[in-house]
Order: sequence, then structure tokens, then C-alpha cells
Amino acid sequence: KMAAAAAISLRRAGWRLWQGHAVIMCQLCPLQRPLQASAVLRRVSEEQKKEPLASSSQQQFDSHPAEHKPEKEPQGPRPSYTGQGGQESEDYESEEQLQHRILTAALEFVPEHGWTAEAIAEGAKTLGLSAAAAGMFHSDGSELILHFVSQCNTKLSGLLEQEQKLVQLGEAEKKPTDQFLRDAVEARLRMLVPYIEKWPQALSILLLPHNIPSSLNLLTSMIDDIWHYAGDQSTDFNWYTRRAVLTGIYNTTELVMMQDSSPDFEDTWRFLENRVADATNMGNTANQVQSTGEAVIQGLMGAAVTVSSAESPELQG
Amino acid sequence: AVAGLCPCRALLSRRGGALRALCGSVRGLAAAPETHFGFQTVTEEERREKIYQVFESVAKKYDVMNDSMTLGIHRVWKDILMHKMNPSPGTLLLDVAGGTGDIAFRFINYVRSVRERQLQRKLKHHQNLSWQEISESYQEDRSKSLGDSHVVVCDINKEMLKVGKQKAQHLGYLEGLSWVLGNAEELPFDDDKFDVYTIAFGIRNVTRIDLALQEAYRVLKPGGRFLCLEFSHVSNPILSRLYDLYSFQVIPVLGEVIAGDWKSYQYLVESIRRFPPQEELKAMIEDAGFFKVDYQNLNSGIVAIHSGFKL
Repeated sequence: KMAAAAAISLRRAGWRLWQGHAVIMCQLCPLQRPLQASAVLRRVSEEQKKEPLASSSQQQFDSHPAEHKPEKEPQGPRPSYTGQGGQESEDYESEEQLQHRILTAALEFVPEHGWTAEAIAEGAKTLGLSAAAAGMFHSDGSELILHFVSQCNTKLSGLLEQEQKLVQLGEAEKKPTDQFLRDAVEARLRMLVPYIEKWPQALSILLLPHNIPSSLNLLTSMIDDIWHYAGDQSTDFNWYTRRAVLTGIYNTTELVMMQDSSPDFEDTWRFLENRVADATNMGNTANQVQSTGEAVIQGLMGAAVTVSSAESPELQG
Repeated sequence: AVAGLCPCRALLSRRGGALRALCGSVRGLAAAPETHFGFQTVTEEERREKIYQVFESVAKKYDVMNDSMTLGIHRVWKDILMHKMNPSPGTLLLDVAGGTGDIAFRFINYVRSVRERQLQRKLKHHQNLSWQEISESYQEDRSKSLGDSHVVVCDINKEMLKVGKQKAQHLGYLEGLSWVLGNAEELPFDDDKFDVYTIAFGIRNVTRIDLALQEAYRVLKPGGRFLCLEFSHVSNPILSRLYDLYSFQVIPVLGEVIAGDWKSYQYLVESIRRFPPQEELKAMIEDAGFFKVDYQNLNSGIVAIHSGFKL
């Protein structure tokens, strides 16, 4: 009786050790759980065997601290970390990875259901999970939107990096700054086009108090990225001015895009071009304080254009 | 957890109840045939029988007693559980120890209203169709007012199921319900069948909680959700004192006055004290194989909702 109690508390202690970020493979005692435990996670990870070895071994390292359940230990020698992707007990994907997969699958249902728990439920169903898995996420769809924004930002970084490589290899011309900014913002905004009808809903959800820290974080890191690839080396007050200006340009262009009904959003790109031109001219003035003040005026002007366009009769949602 | 239990035990030792000092991790986990029934020590078989008798005798007055003991707040708790579940039409729910059907009826109401909203939204999008097409689509949707959702109410106690069926007829719940006699430790269902498994104020009465959790894991589909609504541990010391006072002084008296059954309600209150607290139950749920296990305290711990996913 006491031995059973001791075994149980020992197992709990072993489980708690896992919860700490110790990447220790030893277990205090073997699990007597049936082998079909976490069928979904393990099954999925077998697909990851197709990935290149380097990344999968990296994933094993990363997913283990997040995995709070000790998995069954094979009787033979310990599986190695170094390279063999696809060891049977090692590649459990973490819950976060599964959540990302569900959210990615849910994106295709957004045009129909909006950024809601229903879209997430449909996404879960396509992965073979029950619709109840959508309960893992907040019921207002915040995580779906944040996931999408983060995906877009990553895509943008990838694009900018590729461009930079081409320039370094001498296969492309280095663009002037204003052209670079215009192209970067346009590329990023074009990623919204498939979801443009439901995007206003997403914007309003991103402004909810509990989402503002994350959404602001994503926005600032994206702007930072763009300036980094634009070759911004400033270490003085210019750094803040540049970020503020570009953030203003991006936000106002996004708002204009929301109610732009011109073919292929021409009006939006023209608006973007004008704002970037203004910003570049502004950067030539010597007075930093004045330029910061003008950044504010740029933002207000953009908002005024948005409001006046909203009042024109041809624009319906 | 054990510390929280001690002042309570001290209170009762003065009454001379039969107490046994068991260490916290063994409490309720009955690796041996001996287990607890309230504050008594009994064998597992005896416990099952006694609990069956308890619910057999309280079945008719179960709902009335719930209302009077919790001052009607149990309805709010069950509503919160339903909102947390947020079921979409087409969900298959298994409500274990669901006797009188409270959760089942709420589920049906919820799904019905979600379905209505869905239909309304669909109609709005059909503004530019012909009248013929609209009426056709309207009719075919109307026939599935629940959208294929279904709830199976499973209970070990025949009397409780009887009361539940009568209630369903009385309140007009005709479709989407099934009533099954079954034991939570050994469910009469196939693997991977249900989207959601709930057990509201029932897991406390299960003799082998680990078996019940394993069964829950078995019958849930991958991605399915486990939800458990149960009385739990109050951490706030002042509230805990008041709660103890209310539990041990008022509730058995109410039981005698309203249901004519002091002992059953004494058992009820004692069983609440013997039930593992939030973190321990969370660990047990994780041991059964569930992921993303979390709990939400209602009324600062008087009741807690535990949730886990089969991933």
C-alpha cells in the first residue's frame, strides 16, 4: 500500500521535473500508460520525418521542454539527439505546434466564417480533430488573427531577406529608400487581400485591451524589420522618428485599403506613394523636432483622406 | 491541500466521527480495496453500494435540494460550464453522471440558439436569390434545428435517470437526447466516439477516479474535450471557515427538512471535503493522457471547472 503511494508520488515528482526546462532524458520511473496516449501528437510528428534532419533534431530539443508528459522509454539504448529524425518516442510535437497547425488550417475558413471560433473549429476538423478542439483558443478569435499577422510578418522578412541576398550577389540593383519602403509596405499589405472583407473585424479585435500588447509587439517588430533591410544604420533620434513615420504610413495605408474599391487597389498604392514621398522630403529637413511634429501631421492627413473617402458615395464595404 | 483539510478534521473529531489519517496522495486513489465514504472507511464495493443508495433516496428531491443548498447558484455554475464548452451544432456530448439532465438540457438550448443564429446569417446572405431557392434552403435547414447535435446522458443510477426522463418530457425536450444506464468506470461506448465529455458534480461519487478519467480519454475523439465541474478546495481562509460552517451546520438540516434524509446530505458534505483539490485533480487528469489541462475557480474555489483535451 505504502509502496504504491510512494510510486505514485515519485512519478509525480518525475513529471514535475519534466516541467522544468531540464532536457534530461532519464525518467524516475517508467510510465504504465497505454501506448495509444497522445495519438494525435505522435502521429503528426511522423510527418515531420520528411523535414531535413537538422531542423528536426532542433525541434526535438525545442519541443521537449514544452512537452510536459514523459513519453514511454524504449527498452533499448537511449535514442540520440544528434541527428536521427524520426525516433519513435522522441518526436512528439508540442501542443503549441499542434495549435499552430490548427490555426493555419483555420485560415482558409476565414472568408466564410470570419475570425471566429467557428473558423477554428472548421480548421480543426480538416486536421481530423473534433470541433471541440477549438476550445483550446479564446472564443473571440484573437489567437487566429495574431497567428495570421505573425505569419505575414515572417513571410515579409523572408521576402526582404531574399531581395537583400540578390543585391549582395550583384544580381539586382539596390533600390532607393523610398522605393524600398513602398515595395515592402505594398508586399505586406497585399497579403491581406484574400481576407480583406473580414479584415476590419480583425483590426477591431486586435485593438481589444487584452490583445494590444501582442498586436503592438508584432507591428513594431515588422516595422523594425523593414527599416533594418532598408539599411537603416541610425543610432540617434532618427531611429525613433523613422519608426514612427513608417508606422504612421503603414497604418494609414491599411485603413485606406479597407475601403478602397478601385481595381487591384490602385488608389491605395497611389496614396502610399504620396505618403512615402512626403516622408522622404520631410527627412531632408534639419530640424528633428519639426520632423517629428510633421510625422504627426502626416498621420492626421492620412486619416483625413480616409474619412473623406469614406464619405464618398461609391464606397460600400 | 492536506493543511486545508486539518482544521476541518479537527472540527469533526469533536463530533466523534470515524476519522482516519490517510496521507494526501492516497486519498481517494484506493490502490487497496479500502476507501472512504464521506469520513468513514469502507471497502470499494460497500462504497459503490452506499452511494447508489444515497442517490436512489434523493433522486426525487435532487433538484429541489440543489436549489436550496446552493441558493440557486448551481444554475449559474452550469451555465458557465456551457459557455466554456461553447458547443457548435453537430457536437456529440456525453454527459456522465448526468442523472436529472441539467447539463443535457442546457446543451440543447445552447446548440439550438447557435443554430438559429447560423440560419439567420445564411438567410442574410441569400438576399439576391429567388424566392424559390430561399424557401427550399430554408426548409431543409429547418428540419435540423439542432444541426445533428446529440447528447447522451449516462448515469449509474436508475432512479436518477427516471427523474431525468420525466423532466425531459415535462419540459418538452424530445429530440437530441439519449438516456443510457452505465458506470463511469466502465462506459458502454466505443472508442473515439464523443466530441465532449462532461461530468458535473458526479466525479466526486466515482470510486475509482483514475478509471473514470481513463474511460473518458478512451471514448473521446482526438481533439475532444473533457470538462469536469465539481466542488473543490477554497483557499481563502475566511471564506473557507464560513463555507465549512454552512456545509456542516446548514446543509444536513436542509436535507432533513426538505428531503427527510439527514445522512445523505451529511455524506454529500463530507465527500466534498474528501475530494482532491484543484491541482491534484489536474495532475490526475494529465496522468490519464489529457493535454492542456487547466482549471477555473468559480466563487473562489467552492466550485472548479477542469478542462483537458485529448490530443
